[in-house]
Amino acid sequence: MADTTSMVSAVKTAGGLVGAGLALGGGAIGASIGDGLAGSQTIAGVARNPEAQGRLTTLMFLTVGLCEAAYFINLVFAALFIFSLGK
Amino acid sequence: MGSGLLTSPLTAIDITPGLHLQRHVFGLTINMDIVWATVIAGLVVITLGLMLRSRATSGVPGKFQLLWELAVGAVQTQVDDSIGPRGANVVPLALTLFIFIFTCNLFEVLSIGSPIDFLPAPTSDINLPLAMALYVIVLVHRAAVKNRGVRGYFAHYANQPFAAKGALAKIPLTFANIFMNGIEELVKPVTLTLRLFGNLFAGGLMLSLLAALVIWKLGPVPIGGILSVPFTLMWKTFDMAIGAIQAFIFALLTILYFDTAMAQDEAH
Repeated sequence: MADTTSMVSAVKTAGGLVGAGLALGGGAIGASIGDGLAGSQTIAGVARNPEAQGRLTTLMFLTVGLCEAAYFINLVFAALFIFSLGK
Repeated sequence: MGSGLLTSPLTAIDITPGLHLQRHVFGLTINMDIVWATVIAGLVVITLGLMLRSRATSGVPGKFQLLWELAVGAVQTQVDDSIGPRGANVVPLALTLFIFIFTCNLFEVLSIGSPIDFLPAPTSDINLPLAMALYVIVLVHRAAVKNRGVRGYFAHYANQPFAAKGALAKIPLTFANIFMNGIEELVKPVTLTLRLFGNLFAGGLMLSLLAALVIWKLGPVPIGGILSVPFTLMWKTFDMAIGAIQAFIFALLTILYFDTAMAQDEAH
């Protein structure tokens, strides 16, 4: 019924959106697990040795930054899928 | 979209990320807005440095000098902790990268989420992070060659993770070593680039989405316009923290890469 070009573009849009959703969802799971591990271990470390709080906090923010970065890379690819490939 | 309660901003507004003012020179495409933003960021860093030079004192430092000493001290501590005294000439590179990337990242505060901003964050375009990452990686490999010599440099990649005991195991293990080390070395510049670029690009995209929120109206009430202002303020505050952390991570990873390149092999 529908001609081929509109069908192809519909498939492209659907694929781009589904891919972006998968990238964002999966990335969010990984990044949040990483952030949670970093935070919990920092709390455990501070509870054990309260004097080390300053150094541990710096390290935690660093680790959280690295974890989040992986997710932000995903976000870029999701934006690519949505705004460029999905059109 | 009819008179629905919720008009989706995504379908109503055409968001085009990665749009730049472009000039074509000799078959190359140059993003002009990124170029002038980079130049302005560089001028800011140079001006800050010259201001420090004229005000530097060995007596009681002012606030300006204290800020600089804080940054220098942070980088110096990292270098001392990981490389040791051999890494003294990594400090200027890492410090310059940190200050410059931080300045670039702060430009994101000035942008309003329009398709082409007057002064975008230069790091939100992939070209600047890629250039910086490649520069760092080339210097790292140069340091590795200087440290181990040309033969030692290649030998390091050939027998590093799995050391062969017998002559029979040597050939397959060498192949495995080269394969793994090759992937590691290829991934280094790619992740260094994408980490910085991804964060800043996502920040700009978020600003565009928040600006697109203005479309959302609940009857006569411009609820999206009201919500957009506090959200943008919150996001920009958060983004400044992200910019600082990412600048520091870039500098720190530079130091760590130099650390692995300058490490003395205990076996030889």
